[in-house]
Amino acid sequence: MSNGLALTLETRPEELERLTAAIETLAEQDNWPAALTFKVNLVLEELVLNVINYAYDESGHQLDVKLTCNEEDLVIEITDEGKPFDPLHDAPDPDMDSPMEERRIGGLGVYLVRTMTSDMQYRREDGKNHMTVAMSRDE
Amino acid sequence: MEVTTAREGAHLIVGVDGRVDGVSAPEFQAAIEGAIQPSDQAVIVDMGGVQFIASAGLRVLLVVGRLLQKQNAKLVACSLSERLREVFTISGFSSIVPLYDSRADALQALND
Repeated sequence: MSNGLALTLETRPEELERLTAAIETLAEQDNWPAALTFKVNLVLEELVLNVINYAYDESGHQLDVKLTCNEEDLVIEITDEGKPFDPLHDAPDPDMDSPMEERRIGGLGVYLVRTMTSDMQYRREDGKNHMTVAMSRDE
Repeated sequence: MEVTTAREGAHLIVGVDGRVDGVSAPEFQAAIEGAIQPSDQAVIVDMGGVQFIASAGLRVLLVVGRLLQKQNAKLVACSLSERLREVFTISGFSSIVPLYDSRADALQALND
């Protein structure tokens, strides 16, 4: 039942396809309900894309994705050596109410991650960003 | 992701299949923008075949919605799965993009 994955990705969006494929395989092996697979995909997409788009000024860098799960919880850790960025404090507040013409999209990805996880922590250590999120396997 | 377009009167219907994520979002945006005519009164995005959407996909809908506003046209979406609908609700997008259960419902609401 205990399972997981560790992947090193290059900082370009196409790498998300490799990540998605790895998640689908793990989800199948570990019998995840479809709702959990969707949540994990969404959380990873938002966090990894943030690193790809904002952590570095140029491409050609790498980031590490580690996922561990037991019978109750699933924990994802994303590590990169890019610019210090704490999504919990540095991302803009999401705009949920403005009309179409004034609506700001910034911060929405981080907000979605926050709603889909039970715990979200950031630390800067040894010149790296460490983003750790946890979610329950239930529901 | 696959995008197909069709017309129903002055409405453009965009059918989407697959994942609308950071990889496919630019293609999604280009496909819709390329299909919009100045005479269109509405764009219906049929998401019946979409298994996954992330904020990059929502961003495209916002950009398209604003573009349509400039020509006094509407953006609506239909046939969302339960999970997609949840993302639209959590993100507050259901307040700017009206959601309908089916293409027929969307067309009926637009023609009323």
